[in-house]
Amino acid sequence: MDREILRHLEMLNQLQLTEEQKEAALAFFAAREQDNALLDTIDTENVERMVHVMPIMTVVREDVVKQTFTREALQQDAPETDEGYWCVPRVVE
Amino acid sequence: MKIVLDDLLLTKDMPTTAGSRMLAGYRSLFDAEVIARLQAAGHTVAGKAAVGEFGFDLLGETSADGALIANGALQNAAAKSVKARKADAAICMDVNGYPRRAAAQSGLISLKPTYGTVSRFGTIPVACSGETVSILAASVADCREVLRAVVGHDDKDGTSLPASDCDRVLQGADTVRKVAVLDVFGGDLSKAEQILTENGVDVCHVDGKIFAAARAAWNILMSAELCNNVSRYDGVKYGYRAQNFTGIDELYTNSRTEAFGDLLKTVILFGSETLSTDNYMKVYDKALRVRRVIKEAFEALFAEYDAVLLPAVSAMTYAPDTVDPFVENGYTAPASITGLPAVVAGGVQVIGNAFSENVLLHIAQLLS
Repeated sequence: MDREILRHLEMLNQLQLTEEQKEAALAFFAAREQDNALLDTIDTENVERMVHVMPIMTVVREDVVKQTFTREALQQDAPETDEGYWCVPRVVE
Repeated sequence: MKIVLDDLLLTKDMPTTAGSRMLAGYRSLFDAEVIARLQAAGHTVAGKAAVGEFGFDLLGETSADGALIANGALQNAAAKSVKARKADAAICMDVNGYPRRAAAQSGLISLKPTYGTVSRFGTIPVACSGETVSILAASVADCREVLRAVVGHDDKDGTSLPASDCDRVLQGADTVRKVAVLDVFGGDLSKAEQILTENGVDVCHVDGKIFAAARAAWNILMSAELCNNVSRYDGVKYGYRAQNFTGIDELYTNSRTEAFGDLLKTVILFGSETLSTDNYMKVYDKALRVRRVIKEAFEALFAEYDAVLLPAVSAMTYAPDTVDPFVENGYTAPASITGLPAVVAGGVQVIGNAFSENVLLHIAQLLS
């Protein structure tokens, strides 16, 4: 991990760190890299990934409308709306 | 019973913030499923307790409202409410073990049920593959009563297990014959061992070295999932929006930068790095494979033992800024990464096989 990669990660995640936060982040990454070395000592050559800890049966269900909300309700927490639309700065020049 | 909810559970009638400035004042349109189940069983919601930002710190110290500190030690809000009898029990999201640490340090009982047996519908997602709705209570009887109310299949939760599996949580045997102590975690467990032995339980020591790897693997998976889950907070649809921006990119960046706390930002970046092209196979994919190795190691132990005993914390108090939550979670990560149930009682932690909650509560009764 170096500052250039950190800057790239900041850009990807829409974040800007202060100099102090960058130092803390670099120390955090260094500690985690040491931890990760422990994983390399475990042989996983013929081991399958485990994405779900319990068997997932199915997420498919009948296409039936259940709980619904009005547009007004859905926008109650929006920072800025106008006539039912969410407002953002102009994105097309 | 009066139940306090941690602030990772959505509530229609009260704000839900996840401890983050990003969601200050946020009002959900619906309640978490567990609230409906508690109310159906005759329990009432006593209020909400502050959590650390998105619930992955030690005890809640990264909350946007600030840390709770008493006598120089970090405190947890939900545990404080139960300890002071302002509530009979608390429902908490066990993302990274905070309810178990709080229980150990406060002399309370914490039960993290088997993953998938309590609905996560209406909880703020952080690390979906391992986080569990859990219970914090003053007694085993209270813990059992709350468990009875909330456990069960929920169609609205895609990871909810079938009713037949959920029923096993309440109907399983509570026989305890052999318990293994995991030596790799150290700690003084002699009092707990003595109590178990006096009650006819055969206590054996095993090395358990493999379980020490759970921390590194869970830190990777948790951070990667957190990174994805908080990507939805962009200052547009809901949540905090920065006042100053000149375009859409600045709106996103300034909103997230101003609203998220220091630790959260670091963990987002770490999670993002584990998912990068360069690291995906050697870090994230490796952690998923290590998860299976650890789960299978537990299964091998449970072929011989009814439960395993290990510490829940490294110390009975934490001074602020002295303990790294990504190291301290070494004790809680084995149950988090495998979805296995765990109970904390008498200041120590016991992990059981899937659906063995009755065994764990029986042990908790002995230890408390």
